Amino acid sequence: MPEEFLVARNLHKSFNGNNAVNGVSFSIHKGEVFGLLGPNGAGKTTTIRMLTTVLEPDRGDIEIGGHSVRQDAEGVRALIGVCPQELALYVELSAMDNLVFFGRMVGLNGKEAKAQAMSHLDLMGLADRAKGKVDKFSGGMKRRVNLAIALMGHPQFLFLDESTVGVDPQSRNNIYETIEGLRDEGMTILYTTHYMDEADRLCDRVAIMDEGVIIAMDTPHALKSQIGNPNQVTLEDVFLKLTGRTLRD
Amino acid sequence: MEQLSHIWFFALKDLKIFFKDRIALLFSLLFPFMFIMLFFFLNIDGAAADPRLELHLVTQEAVGGISHQIIGAMETKDESLLQPGEAVVVWDKDYNEAVRAVEEGELKGFLAFPEDFTEGVLMGFGTRLEVVTDPEATYTRAALSGMAQSIASQVGAYQVVNSTIVGLLVGQEVNSPGDMVDIGQIMQQLYSRQGGDETGETFIEFETDKVGDIEAESPSNYVVPGYLVMFVFFAAALSAEMIVRERENHTLERLLASSVKRSSIIGGIYLGTAIRGLIQIALFLGVGMLALDMDFGRSPGAVILLSVLMVLMSSAFGIMLATLVKTQRSASALGVLVSLAIAPLGGCWWPLFITPRWMQFMAKVTPHGWATTGFNKLMVFGGDFSSAVPEMVALACFGLAFAVVAVLRFRSSASS
Repeated sequence: MPEEFLVARNLHKSFNGNNAVNGVSFSIHKGEVFGLLGPNGAGKTTTIRMLTTVLEPDRGDIEIGGHSVRQDAEGVRALIGVCPQELALYVELSAMDNLVFFGRMVGLNGKEAKAQAMSHLDLMGLADRAKGKVDKFSGGMKRRVNLAIALMGHPQFLFLDESTVGVDPQSRNNIYETIEGLRDEGMTILYTTHYMDEADRLCDRVAIMDEGVIIAMDTPHALKSQIGNPNQVTLEDVFLKLTGRTLRD
Repeated sequence: MEQLSHIWFFALKDLKIFFKDRIALLFSLLFPFMFIMLFFFLNIDGAAADPRLELHLVTQEAVGGISHQIIGAMETKDESLLQPGEAVVVWDKDYNEAVRAVEEGELKGFLAFPEDFTEGVLMGFGTRLEVVTDPEATYTRAALSGMAQSIASQVGAYQVVNSTIVGLLVGQEVNSPGDMVDIGQIMQQLYSRQGGDETGETFIEFETDKVGDIEAESPSNYVVPGYLVMFVFFAAALSAEMIVRERENHTLERLLASSVKRSSIIGGIYLGTAIRGLIQIALFLGVGMLALDMDFGRSPGAVILLSVLMVLMSSAFGIMLATLVKTQRSASALGVLVSLAIAPLGGCWWPLFITPRWMQFMAKVTPHGWATTGFNKLMVFGGDFSSAVPEMVALACFGLAFAVVAVLRFRSSASS
């Protein structure tokens, strides 16, 4: 039985009376890449914000690495790294300055922060642009810096929220390879994306959310098997079958 | 310790961004100086035409009143004995004529003693000195106000002595309360004799240094502090935009999801804004002193402390503003609006002491009003450290109030 690194139990969150998350429960095993999929407004980002301690659940609890977000949010924060959907960085600063700043904020000393920053920029293929101002970077380069920041301090659990939105195939491939490399090193990852081929390639298991609840959760292969020959149907077919073809806001 | 280092790294990051932003640098540091230099030279041209300040005094009392003694003692008998920058004191004999002269622009202003001055002082009813000036006669008004303040405090002290003596005599049953009027008249006669023409001396000691610090040839003494207050507050208010940007760019969320405490983030933002403000005041005061002949007055320490309090209060306001708005656009719009609305009201564009009473009263609801009043006391009226303590306390209270609102609002606005 694999060790459960993250356990979410009966999460609820509403805003102005609207239920954004309505009784979500799931667990993620140590070393697993777990995909959280769903159409816009399904409640993925709200769920991630609760998991990352930014939002407090109305009901339910979350444990990460044995620490409860309600009782020991600091303990949870010490274990996680977050790569938000938005480019959460300072475009006025260089890539190096960004990484060093966030490194210092997660408790690294100056020497460690610089060493890790250089190593992560190298991993993202940005070593030669370390001193470059992020404002001058392409969208793909900014995405890679965004991911590199999340790796500062070597977190045990990584949240990747739509990390490949709007990037060119080369950058996307670099991000895929990075995630696969991190998984091989034993990092646990929660990954959200709208690209089903990404989820199929990277995720060990996926949960599909809609209207604040999880409507399916299994391995991509098992989910595909539910609607046909897994070698012929895609995860996108499964997704559309489960969430429907009606356009979302 | 870790929290303190987080605060420092955050502030350092903000400063790095600030120094890389040429427009922000231009706006915060260079633009204010363009204003100061412009108004300094406009004022100095006017000041050059008035090499020695003339202060006119008038009394409406009958001959023999205390006011005659005071004016007689202060009147300039020999102008050649005056020190450079010292004002000429002129005794005008007719109140109505003096009013007419001010109305017609022949006289910039005068200080008038009321007809019941002696009675009011000796009987403890209180009295009121009147400063009548042309609204544009800044220096004259400043000097006359300072002079009136000095006279009031000196005469007030004698009135206390007088009342105490009478009280003691009544207490020992040497006299009845009804004798107070008689005693007052006796003391008046005594004072008159003591300060009579025979001796050339007076019981009123007037310290000319109270008004002697007014230097007509240095308009920087109120121009620089006024713009310092305005631009420091302006820059801090606009820093609200930077804070909102942290929220909109999700860097704030990223930091909140790391092991950084909310208090460290708000502390870092505050420190960064405050350091930028301190750099501004160091430049303002430095250039004012070295290039514009600005005089820090009798207490340079009080001027610096008042400036620092202004920075701390403004920084707290910037953070509070950021927690009250949703977007960068509304942060910058509100920052500009509030700063521009408060600046003239608070005496940043013109000295408060030349404004009508209602405006001076309104200024008290703004931190700018307290700050400029404090600077005027120290740098225009020649006040000492203690004279500006109320203004320092007021600025600290404003800062504290803004900080409390900011901290209370920060939690909810950061996660919304």
